[in-house]
Amino acid sequence: MAKILEGPAMKLFNKWGIPVPNYVVIMDPNRLEQLGEANKWLRESKLVVKAHEAIGGRYKLGLVKLGLNLEQALEAAKEMIGREIGTSVVRQVIVAEMLDHDEEYYVSIAGNRDGAELLLSNKGGVDIEDNWDTVKRLFIPLDETPSIERITEAAWEAGFVGEIAERVAKITSRLILCFDNEDSQSIEINPLVIRKSDMRFAALDAVMNVDWDARFRHADWDFKPVSEIGRSFTEAEQQIMDIDARIKGSVKLVEVPGGNIALLTAGGGASVFYSDAVVARGGSIANYAEYSGDPPDWAVEALTETICRLPNIKHIIVGGAIANFTDVKATFNGIINGFRESKSKGFLENVKIWVRRGGPNENQGLASMKKLQEEGFDIHVYDRSMPMTDIVDLALNS
Amino acid sequence: MITEGVPEKDAKRLRKYALEKGKIFNGPSSIGIMSAGECRLGVIGGEYKNLKLCNLYRAGSFGVITKSGGLSNEAMWLCAQNGDGITSAVAIGGDSYPGTDFVTYLQMFENDPETKAVVVIGEVGGTLEEEAAEWFGAEKRRIKLIAAIGGTCQDVLPQGMKFGHAGAKEGKKGLGSARSKINALREAGAHVPDTFGGLSKAIKQVYLELQATGIIKPEPELDEKLLPDLPPSVQEIMKQGDVIVEPLIRTTISDDRGEEPRYVGYAASELCEKGYGIEDVIGLLWNKKLPTKEESEIIKRIIMISADHGPAVSGAFGSIIAACAGIDLPQAVSAGMTMIGPRFGGAVTNAGKYFKYGVKEYPNDIPGFLSWMKQNVGPVPGIGHRVKSLKNPDKRVKYLVEYVKNQTTLHTPCLDYALEVEKITTSKKDNLILNVDGTIGCILVDLDFPEYSLNGFFVLARTIGMIGHWIDQNNQNSRLIRLYDYLINYAVKEEREVPEKK
Repeated sequence: MAKILEGPAMKLFNKWGIPVPNYVVIMDPNRLEQLGEANKWLRESKLVVKAHEAIGGRYKLGLVKLGLNLEQALEAAKEMIGREIGTSVVRQVIVAEMLDHDEEYYVSIAGNRDGAELLLSNKGGVDIEDNWDTVKRLFIPLDETPSIERITEAAWEAGFVGEIAERVAKITSRLILCFDNEDSQSIEINPLVIRKSDMRFAALDAVMNVDWDARFRHADWDFKPVSEIGRSFTEAEQQIMDIDARIKGSVKLVEVPGGNIALLTAGGGASVFYSDAVVARGGSIANYAEYSGDPPDWAVEALTETICRLPNIKHIIVGGAIANFTDVKATFNGIINGFRESKSKGFLENVKIWVRRGGPNENQGLASMKKLQEEGFDIHVYDRSMPMTDIVDLALNS
Repeated sequence: MITEGVPEKDAKRLRKYALEKGKIFNGPSSIGIMSAGECRLGVIGGEYKNLKLCNLYRAGSFGVITKSGGLSNEAMWLCAQNGDGITSAVAIGGDSYPGTDFVTYLQMFENDPETKAVVVIGEVGGTLEEEAAEWFGAEKRRIKLIAAIGGTCQDVLPQGMKFGHAGAKEGKKGLGSARSKINALREAGAHVPDTFGGLSKAIKQVYLELQATGIIKPEPELDEKLLPDLPPSVQEIMKQGDVIVEPLIRTTISDDRGEEPRYVGYAASELCEKGYGIEDVIGLLWNKKLPTKEESEIIKRIIMISADHGPAVSGAFGSIIAACAGIDLPQAVSAGMTMIGPRFGGAVTNAGKYFKYGVKEYPNDIPGFLSWMKQNVGPVPGIGHRVKSLKNPDKRVKYLVEYVKNQTTLHTPCLDYALEVEKITTSKKDNLILNVDGTIGCILVDLDFPEYSLNGFFVLARTIGMIGHWIDQNNQNSRLIRLYDYLINYAVKEEREVPEKK
């Protein structure tokens, strides 16, 4: 899953002939002035300015401003760029043309196991949730494209009439092409509107997810996925993502501010159960982390150092199931180096470390981890005979 | 399939294709399937030691189905610790759209009389666990179902957060949440402990119940001898000092087992740092000696003047023909290299060898040496040139001899001897001069290089030239060439009819 911002989504829509309003993405507010000289629509239309960042609830935060002229848009852009929201900073804004319209429609496509599902409604906009039962659903089998007649029929069933139904069907069929060809996982256009002046359709707002694993076959994907948790990625998360993209196997990190139990857990499955165990025992996690697929030791070392730097942590849970092919000795070497490095930089003071692991070369790996006791680490090492998540209980009871 | 990072669309297609063919596609990010005591596909179960620890050498009574790879192993371990082990275990993968589902395998386990209970480990995201619950609750099932579901922590974590598996993500409105899966499974009659920690107890409880009702018979004791440890590897025994292995090869020149290569003990980087050059590396690797400044200067100059001799000579021409035929660099250079032999460039070794022999056996008797050569070898290697002669001397020879004799302090008995030989041979025939092979051979003997190493200097030097020719032809996009007819004397039979075969 990779959520992409409006700018790149609009670019992909343009590519597939799905109408979007005129827009520009800028980082320097002064650029807007020059763009205004170059583009008539910026001078003559009402404009909307939105923070072009993965920040949830933008409207409430004052990061969406509507109905502006160019001068006001410039002011709004100046005001927004550089604003700090939690751990995020607004670096880009998108300035788009506001379209006068009466009705707002809803079109979305979401992938499922057997293909995808198309959702259509003529009652789009902010109230779509309330009108959920009016939404018409159409199943699209994998690698099949429904005929324009079939989509038009669905549009009728969704309450569209006459020429509008036909136009909506045409846009929808292009959206299906876009969905299919851009390895999308979901696209939601809300609202789709018709401009009064010339009856031109435009997707005013869109949320798009693409399959980041398919990026190798998309030369024009010049964007990066953005965070889906209502805030931008932190610097540490971004660093771990960059490492993850380069290695065999994987390393993953999500920071959870305020927690005091850090997770340095192995395996996509086991790491979730460790988080569960902390939460179930009333603890609070400082992060979610995972390494798996026999990653190189340096990548695990980098993940370890990042986790050691998390603020206010009291425990680090170095947990994992019995690995199939991840070399415990090698990955533990990375963790050990990370611990040593962090300690020499003054981290890990009053932090207890809890280890449980099994798998290839488990004896050597656990033995070298245990040796850290001699170097003054408060570390507790257990082998496979310790039930997997019980080290969490030990940590919380200590 | 045991592959992470397969695009979702491709995974869906693989599943669809398999279904159409009536097959099962397990993956993409699975780690495999195994049946205890029978076989395994993929890396499930891990190393040999673990197979033994988890009783995987013989069938037990539990089936295992997990999304996670690591947890399939953990579940097999738990079944061995708290029960009698597994019949089969399947990791279906943590993908958003795995090729198979829990229900497919639950049905198989239901149909397998050896399997009495199944452990399912699922997680937040998707609906496979709900489908499993529906299947289990739909009618009375023979098998017991134990399940653990990961992701209950989602309640207190940021909405939309992703875990390690692509599929482990809660949908809108709590769809596919761990909670709803746990509830569905419990309602269907499965044992679902609150946490993963409770799984051991649940397995044990089910195992004891099944034993009490006689559904699972006690396991007969196994003869330990039937369970050998994997023999130790040679490395392990050698570490303990219990065995000596006859080495297959022996080296005396270099060692890369440390942090960087060492040439006859010297670290390569230290040589660089202290101002040594490629000539010194040659001295070390070919002769195990660090040359003096003067000596390395001579080696360097020998290589420089031998690096190339134009495109017309056999070696360069061979490489050029190969380059024009579109052959890659190593092979094209080898084609040129193949030409080095008795008639082209390969005389350095023999020249050095025989002049050295002369110095030793006929020190003051050059006619004696020449007649010995005539009787035992033939023409003197290193003497004679196709085009050059006394009147038209080879500049390279003149230059090298003058440089070595006038600008260095090298003691040159072999070169001096060869020059004396030249005086006599040229008095017989103008072109029987000391040629470049002979000169180089003698100087290298005087530099104390082993005589069989001497051709190496020509090979090394010409490699530089041949690589150059290959690059040159490629830069020009040269096309395939063939000899023109007029360059060939077709001394062949006239056209004639092939007779019937007798």
